Amino acid sequence: MSKATESSLLSPSLCAQLERLELVTRKIFRGRMKGERRSKRKGQSVEFADFRNYVPGDDLRMLDWNLYARLDKLILKLFLEEEDLHFYALIDASLSMDFGEPSKLQYAKQLAAALAFVGLIRADRVRIETLDQPVFQRNPVYRGRASAWRMLRQVEAIEPRGGTQLATGVKNFCLRNPGKGIVVLISDLMDKDGYESALKNFLSHEMDCFVIQVLSQAEIEPDVKGDLRLVDCEDQDEAEITVSSPLLRKYQQTLNTFCSGAQQFCTKRGMHYLLANNQVPVEELVAKHLRRRGLVR
Amino acid sequence: MDSLFRNALGPTAWIILGMIPPAIFALYFLKLKRQPLEVPSTYLWHRVIEDLHVNSLWQRLRKSLLLFLQLLIVGLAILAVLRPGWQGESLQGQQFIFLIDNSASMSATDGENGRSRLAEAKQRVVALIDQMDSDMTAMIISFAEQPNVVQEFTNNRRLLRDALDRIEPSAAQTDLTGALQLADGFANPGRVTIEEENAEYEITEQQNIELYILSDGRFAGVEDFSLGNLQPQFFPIGSLTAENLAITALNTRRGEERPELLQAFVQVTNFGSEDRAVVVELYLNEQLLDAAELDVAAGAAASTTFNLSREAEGELRAVINPGKDAKDDLKLDNTAYAVLENLRDSRVLLVTPGNTSLEAALTTDRAKRLAQVEKISPSALEGSSYQRQSQAEYYDLIIYDQCAPEAMPQSNTLFVGSLPPGELWQKNNANEKIFGPQIIDWERSDPLLSLLELGGIQIADSLIVRPPLGGRELVDSTDGPLIAIAPRDHYQDVVIGFEIVGDDEEGNRTFNTDWPRKHSFPGFWLNVLDYFSGVSDDSQSTNHPDRMVELQLGPQEDNVEVVLPDGSRQNVTVDDTGRLNFTDTSQLGIYSVLVGGQVGKKFAVNLFDRPESDIALRVRQAGEDDLITVDSLDIGYVEVEAQSPQLEVRRELWKPLLLLALFVLALEWYIYNRRVYI
Repeated sequence: MSKATESSLLSPSLCAQLERLELVTRKIFRGRMKGERRSKRKGQSVEFADFRNYVPGDDLRMLDWNLYARLDKLILKLFLEEEDLHFYALIDASLSMDFGEPSKLQYAKQLAAALAFVGLIRADRVRIETLDQPVFQRNPVYRGRASAWRMLRQVEAIEPRGGTQLATGVKNFCLRNPGKGIVVLISDLMDKDGYESALKNFLSHEMDCFVIQVLSQAEIEPDVKGDLRLVDCEDQDEAEITVSSPLLRKYQQTLNTFCSGAQQFCTKRGMHYLLANNQVPVEELVAKHLRRRGLVR
Repeated sequence: MDSLFRNALGPTAWIILGMIPPAIFALYFLKLKRQPLEVPSTYLWHRVIEDLHVNSLWQRLRKSLLLFLQLLIVGLAILAVLRPGWQGESLQGQQFIFLIDNSASMSATDGENGRSRLAEAKQRVVALIDQMDSDMTAMIISFAEQPNVVQEFTNNRRLLRDALDRIEPSAAQTDLTGALQLADGFANPGRVTIEEENAEYEITEQQNIELYILSDGRFAGVEDFSLGNLQPQFFPIGSLTAENLAITALNTRRGEERPELLQAFVQVTNFGSEDRAVVVELYLNEQLLDAAELDVAAGAAASTTFNLSREAEGELRAVINPGKDAKDDLKLDNTAYAVLENLRDSRVLLVTPGNTSLEAALTTDRAKRLAQVEKISPSALEGSSYQRQSQAEYYDLIIYDQCAPEAMPQSNTLFVGSLPPGELWQKNNANEKIFGPQIIDWERSDPLLSLLELGGIQIADSLIVRPPLGGRELVDSTDGPLIAIAPRDHYQDVVIGFEIVGDDEEGNRTFNTDWPRKHSFPGFWLNVLDYFSGVSDDSQSTNHPDRMVELQLGPQEDNVEVVLPDGSRQNVTVDDTGRLNFTDTSQLGIYSVLVGGQVGKKFAVNLFDRPESDIALRVRQAGEDDLITVDSLDIGYVEVEAQSPQLEVRRELWKPLLLLALFVLALEWYIYNRRVYI
């Protein structure tokens, strides 16, 4: 086992589990290098895919000369292309993520590490970024199992920092990474300016986009009582509440509306949405929910 | 006064009470220090609050359930203090006297659900008491035979209610006059009048006092009474259609045709509106002697007699059983009691210097059964023992043979050969002696002389005895009456003019008459004993409940106890003359007087009161309208109209309100402790 598997983010058992998985995308992406991934594109590999008639301009190297001899027709022999995949994990490392037990950020980091590990195993190109990093700061791209420890070290180093604008972060990410690929946004989506404009940025990049909304248990079922002055940890905004049953009911309603609104928004735009509770172990999330969503298989 | 609310607090109390809700508000908002709590994002919370702020005023109130509950408690308390109520006649005036009749007829169970009239009256009074304001005072007097102050003037409604509970039904008759006089005394405690030029002025200013009389009106109107400051109101209690069968008499007496038999006479009166058949059962010492069925017409009386043996003695009880289906609203008068006393108890004192024939006649076997005869000599008349006993009604009969006392004793007397002292007899008779009178006639129908043949009696000399006014001559002779009888107070005196034995001129004892040789002699003395000892039989039916019973016991008897019908005992004292005045006769039944642990005397207390048994309310049909109105009540010259029997009762809400406040308080406590999110 590599050194990376001893990290706090990934336990050996999780690594063993992850090694059997691979990242999946429904979209056809052109990888920069040949990878281990079977692409939907036809290309050059040893695996036969199909025949088709020759049209002028086709690569003559692909002609099936045997068929031409037999049928006197120019027929192209198509092979499956194997390619690599760009995998981006975009972590929201704002202060608001530093809540819960385990903290949402920790959870996000674990999740990102797990997915990145899958990518590395399958020789995909993995890049991990946070929302708050400047436009021009580019993080290294990892590839191959050997890079796992470096990837993990980078993820572990992520600390909660300041209030991040979701929209700005996503926009910066898109500016830095114009290519196609899978992007997994791990965030609580609690942005006072709304998440819609942020997510729209992904659309223009035709990325296969997964939005994983991480909420802590305290947010899903707040355990508060009495008269409280709620202080927002990012912008010190205050909200005075007197906890009552209708208020809690109303909160539940609002939360449900918010989550289902985000899901609808994503589904309509071909993105994948998943609500993650920090009480659900990462292993279970990856093995069950993300597999069901089609991110891994 | 008649409004929905009535004030129970003074202005100061109101000000203090009014400051409580603002104080709670103030305390609540002062107290409200919100706990800061850091949350990941207020994003959702703001959206929640914005939604709730749509109707923010209500939300602001709803913010604190505890505040709301506290205000609710205070609100309920204020509302309770305001004493909301409805549908009430209000009490007018400042002072009230409730006269509650608890006589026998008030035990009639013709109220709703078989409730007694007394319970009904109490309920009315409770309703009135509940209407009292805090500055009103009231007192309660119960009255039957005797008025009784149950509660003096107070404004404490709880005391009044407790006092009301203490009123017990009695078996006595109704006497409103005493209650009115008592009320008058309380109503005008400090009446001071000065007389000036034949005009009376009352110095103290009198307040009008409302007098509520709750009775079924079983009494005659009250005369010679001035109400003064009393403002009477009469609330008749009871229904117009009450049915009642009552025993109105129970007597024992000698049979008219067969004097050796005792007869018990029972009279049953039907006070209802239907003819009824009733079974009368007679018990002697709790053993059924006999029963008879009587048909009693509505409003009439019927009677029956039972034959008893002459020797029967003990407690006699007559019970009427109206049958299961028959309605009988008053149970008290369905039983009557009588005492059959041992006749040998009657005591006879013979004062004689010596008279063997007379003594022999008084000590025959039959005579012993009738009376105990004691003998003393005339010289003992001076003794203190005689003096005391003769004045103490100790003897039923004293026979003075050849002598006379200085003063007449308190008993029946029989004089032989002498005249009683005192003017009554002396002024008619000149102590003249006649010689050899011949008896020509005698009163054969008189019980003393019944079945006697007096003809042929020879008499040497005799006094002529002319009875005083009201007396009768029993034996007439050729020269004038020889034996006469005359009443004295409630005693009777018999005088026999001739001696049986006497002294002749030489001072020798000699027979004055040959009467002792005749058959009629012992018969006469038996008649005498029978007649005078039987007197006590007639007195037994006259004891009414709550009236004083006078009994004659031996003088100087101590350790006297009276056993009441319910078995309780009461020590009583006997005065010097051996007279016992017993007043605690509230129960119907037989009372036993124990002298030194032995039953000395018994007496029965019976209702036997037609007005009390006639329990249906007297009605007067008002001709013009169809309403049945109950008679009015005459007090002095004032006619007090009966008030509507359906007294409107003010229903007050303060009790449920306070209970609700208590409940809310408990709820608030629960919420505070459990932090229930409601």
